[in-house]
Amino acid sequence: MALKPLWRRMTVGDRLLVSGLILFCVFFLSLRSFRAAGVHLIVEQNNQVTYKLALDTDRVINLDGPLGPSNIVIEDGAVRFIASPCPNQVCIGMGCASKSGDLLACVPNRLLLRITGRSGRDLDYDLITR
Amino acid sequence: MRSSRIRFALLAVVAIMVGLFVLLPTSHQLRRQQLLLGTVVEIVAFGPDLDILEEAVSAAFSEIARIEHLMSPHIAESDVARLSAATEPFAVAPETAEVLALGLRVAKASRGGFDMTLGRLKQLWAIGSSAPHIPTPAEISVALTGVGPDALTLNGQIVTKKNSHLAVDLGAIAKGYAIDRAALLLRQRGIKHASVNAGGDIVLLGGKSSKERWLIGIQDPLEPDKTVAALKLADRAVVTSGDYERFFERNGVRYHHIFDPASGFPGRRSRSVTIVADSAALADALATAAFVLGPEAGLALLSDFPATEGLIIDPAGEFHLTPGMSTLLSWH
Repeated sequence: MALKPLWRRMTVGDRLLVSGLILFCVFFLSLRSFRAAGVHLIVEQNNQVTYKLALDTDRVINLDGPLGPSNIVIEDGAVRFIASPCPNQVCIGMGCASKSGDLLACVPNRLLLRITGRSGRDLDYDLITR
Repeated sequence: MRSSRIRFALLAVVAIMVGLFVLLPTSHQLRRQQLLLGTVVEIVAFGPDLDILEEAVSAAFSEIARIEHLMSPHIAESDVARLSAATEPFAVAPETAEVLALGLRVAKASRGGFDMTLGRLKQLWAIGSSAPHIPTPAEISVALTGVGPDALTLNGQIVTKKNSHLAVDLGAIAKGYAIDRAALLLRQRGIKHASVNAGGDIVLLGGKSSKERWLIGIQDPLEPDKTVAALKLADRAVVTSGDYERFFERNGVRYHHIFDPASGFPGRRSRSVTIVADSAALADALATAAFVLGPEAGLALLSDFPATEGLIIDPAGEFHLTPGMSTLLSWH
């Protein structure tokens, strides 16, 4: 390989500089490729933020909506609906949310659960048409 | 000598990289969600100025709420509720007239597969409520009296119903129109890269960046946790209608919310339809029409609308797509 003689001619400082640059690039590429685990749960009721909760503490939370109380559980860094007064129980069927940018909602009971990450930025923008 | 040249070259590379990081404009991302249009609406917008993004996204949400107040059948003072109650020709807002004009075009092209006069039928079935109901043939017959592509006449902003008892429902087109309006407001405020997503009905402003298109998964109608294919799109709208969105089951039969105006029962010729078009309102209406018509007539309908592509998944799980759709899709 043509790189081998080049590498041999470099001083220790040059090699450190090149290695540092490669690590720097790998770090930024990895930031772009992975969606961060969530840190906080944001609860919105009627489009108003009513709770901001850490995802690292397991608990069951009762949220009052116009139809009645909905129960959510935070467990192992993920949140899910476990009980809801809504007619079709779609919110319970949505399963768990744990990654930054994940959403759960109970539209009839006007509840929106949003997961945020440490930086507040989420570089995975894929959308699902359903 | 050689070693110092290499060192100089490396330093130059480092200087260029640092310069690029400093000089390239920083792009901010703003992601906001609100419960509107009976679903979660999410707007993601990119731009160099966070204040402009905040203002533009707030304006876009306000516009969606304004359109919802004009076109929701559940808001008593909306155009749609008042038009349903009207016994005389009724003047609607320009936006409502625009939606009705597009809807009538799709209704005629689909020979009634898309129908904006099914309000009474939808009330009868009450799908999505706590007490959905399977109507009797007699009830369906009454609810379908006078419906069809000729049941409404639009003259400017004046709407005339052929039968005064007709109830208008724009549920299969207004959501698309509302997110089109939101995207228009974002564009007017200088936003070049954004997505507006109302429960899976999506409008894209530009690409994810100037170099990259958006990657959009199409939900599998048989396994909702999975996707069947992916679309790479920029500056388009994409809407999917499926029998898994709102439904109830009785005695093992699924009754969903997309009605066939010919029978008054949920359409059975498709499981899901995905449409790519220049506007979400058109994609929304065509998705419903193609769902009702089924693969053969549905694809024939799409050929009447230029720059429109579609994927229809039939009850057996087979895929039927327009020639142009195959160039947009990547399969898993």
